Amino acid sequence: MSTVLRPNVDDLRIIGFYLGKVLGGLGLLMLIPVPVALLLAEWNAAAALVLGAAISSSVRWLADAHLATPRPLSWAHGMVIVALSWIVGSAFAAIPMHVSGRFTSALGAYFEAVSALTTTGMSVIHDLDHLEASMTLYRHLLQIAGGLGIIIVILALFSAGGSRVGTLYVSEARDERILPNVLRTSRFITRVTSAFLVVSVAALVPALLSAGFAPVRAIEHAFALFFSSFSTGGFSIMQASVVYYHSTPVELIVMLLMFAGMLSFALHHALWSRDLREFVDHLETRTLAFVGSGLLLLLGLGLVREGTYTGLSALVRRGLFTLVSAVSSTGHQVNAGETYLTDWGVLAPAALVGAMAIGGMASSTAGGIKALRLALAFKGVVHDIRRFLLPEAAVVVTTYHVGRRRILRPETARAATTVLLLFVLSFLLGTMTALLTSGVTLSEALFESVSIGANIGISIGVVTPDMSPALQAVAIVQMILGRLEFVSVLVLLGYLISFRRGARPLGAPRARTHDDRTSR
Amino acid sequence: MKGRARLDSDRMRERDRRRVRWPALATVVLLALLLALTTALERAAPRADSSAAPVTGLPSPLLDGPVRCAPSDPDARITELRGTLREGGRLTSAIATACPRLLDGRQVVYVGEVVGDVLTRDGGAWAWVNDDPYALEVGPFGAHREREGFSGGLAVWLPDGLHEQLGAPGRHGRRGDVVQVEGVLLRADPSDGGGLNVRADALTVLAPGVAVDEPLNEPLVVAAAVAALLALLSWAWARRRARALER
Repeated sequence: MSTVLRPNVDDLRIIGFYLGKVLGGLGLLMLIPVPVALLLAEWNAAAALVLGAAISSSVRWLADAHLATPRPLSWAHGMVIVALSWIVGSAFAAIPMHVSGRFTSALGAYFEAVSALTTTGMSVIHDLDHLEASMTLYRHLLQIAGGLGIIIVILALFSAGGSRVGTLYVSEARDERILPNVLRTSRFITRVTSAFLVVSVAALVPALLSAGFAPVRAIEHAFALFFSSFSTGGFSIMQASVVYYHSTPVELIVMLLMFAGMLSFALHHALWSRDLREFVDHLETRTLAFVGSGLLLLLGLGLVREGTYTGLSALVRRGLFTLVSAVSSTGHQVNAGETYLTDWGVLAPAALVGAMAIGGMASSTAGGIKALRLALAFKGVVHDIRRFLLPEAAVVVTTYHVGRRRILRPETARAATTVLLLFVLSFLLGTMTALLTSGVTLSEALFESVSIGANIGISIGVVTPDMSPALQAVAIVQMILGRLEFVSVLVLLGYLISFRRGARPLGAPRARTHDDRTSR
Repeated sequence: MKGRARLDSDRMRERDRRRVRWPALATVVLLALLLALTTALERAAPRADSSAAPVTGLPSPLLDGPVRCAPSDPDARITELRGTLREGGRLTSAIATACPRLLDGRQVVYVGEVVGDVLTRDGGAWAWVNDDPYALEVGPFGAHREREGFSGGLAVWLPDGLHEQLGAPGRHGRRGDVVQVEGVLLRADPSDGGGLNVRADALTVLAPGVAVDEPLNEPLVVAAAVAALLALLSWAWARRRARALER
């Protein structure tokens, strides 16, 4: 049995150094809405954002000054840094929210920050409809940073670290390097995002103007809709979400943005390079097309059976939109949450739960189990069945197309199945906690738990500003686990355990002790 | 010999543990201090009274207690529920979403604050009308610190001739007009792509919109200035150390 090494001070130094960089990036993010706050005389919001930015930046500079080290990053470091970035980074991101007073407790502010960064989009904010414009912008910026990946954003911001941060990139549940170099990959992602930003704002502003918005408000809403839709986050300026707009063109553009956010960046690269063949052949495209069609059929059947909507227009604008919102893990709503229970019957919400659980594509901004894992797990099961049915001497080979044709290895199928099972466990944990702490029914608890655990954000009303702290804490854990897809958080736990139980590295310099110092 | 080696190993392990303990403790202490600071600053905000007086003289809600329907509920249950509705009572957004079939296609009275934007279209305008406590009781958050939960309301279609009466809608620093709308509730309005809304045929402005000031949280401003100064100092220190290392 191999032995886990005990981390030493140098390990902590390297973790602290990179964690500081992430906090510095978050600090910069907090500064972006400050000019808006000053322009609109939102003094308290400006002070809250400056406070958060200053504290985060101070930690970053202190880490730079004291913890810089030439030691390379190991995989364990990468995993631990990423897990801590999301856990500790969210705490720092919550500073402006907590001091704003719009949350019932510090835990509520932390919940909001985690929800934003993990692009879950569940909110526990009081009186969103009277929120400052600068704080609205801040919430949306957190979502786009979290959707792209904090590490990617930091890479793009600082353009530093080079190959040393490759491990961080992969640890952040981004296992596809689109280009050979991680820095170039991060820049490609930034370029794609910028292109979508320009195109979608150019499309949304006229749509919003024709929907009756004043020009300044149209621009504000266009940016917010881009940030929350492409990041698949789902926050909105108004509590009512997308139903607020009463506009088919706006809903259509938002649907396209959610779809774009759901695509993996590797597929964006294929489309960017006009490689349509790769798009069509990709395992995830086919899985999502197949599963999505089935779920759409189920949802449509459910809505028609209940007589919820009569016309095709309503079925598309309410049903299809909500399905895309669920499967892309965005969580934009075109209905008041409670009506999924009181007006949609049983079958349609069940289809939504299925869509939420599956989520979008791996290495995209979307959450959920991911189509790739579902397909690999399914192919693994089919592979095993074929192995049992064919003669013992037969060689069973299962292949799949992701970038190129690959052979399905047992460990790949096993890894996919393991993460899938961990997601199911997370959904169950959330469901049980909701049942224990709130007076909700099983279907309500399951719906909300899947929505949280898969980082979706469609709510039927279990998540409220006054939800129990226990449920809030479990939801926070679910959101982080779901976003990081378990591995880095589990490595972090292993790392913490190895502090106590790990073995000392061979050949490592002996720790200087009091005896050593006095003997000199 | 074995016993001595084991003893040495145990000692080294303990020393290693001690060396890694302080950074872990420092992190915990930093987070605890952060929590204490932000909590203190949040509590230091001026506790002004509710910014706007509650809107008085409103009709009582149609139902006093909570209600929940499902599409599978028999018509008899919906009819029975209708029998319990208060005569002349007002619809609330909570009732409309908890039991959309209850008042589908029926004449209702709805009261709330116009928030966000008034979206003018051909033949009328969409307004979002909130009937939460911020709209009807305590006013917008910020001017006061009373936490009353989510914002909540309904979409209202105001035909030409009605929406012109509206002033600036409610947003940060402003309470919008509080209006009483009479109209028909539609559970799935075909002309709104199946949306739940009220089609108004009469509108009364109960309380015109007012600007509400958010008192300045002075301790927060001071803390932000001090923190910004500390950030600048730490930046200068980091640069100095980096230069020293380069040399």
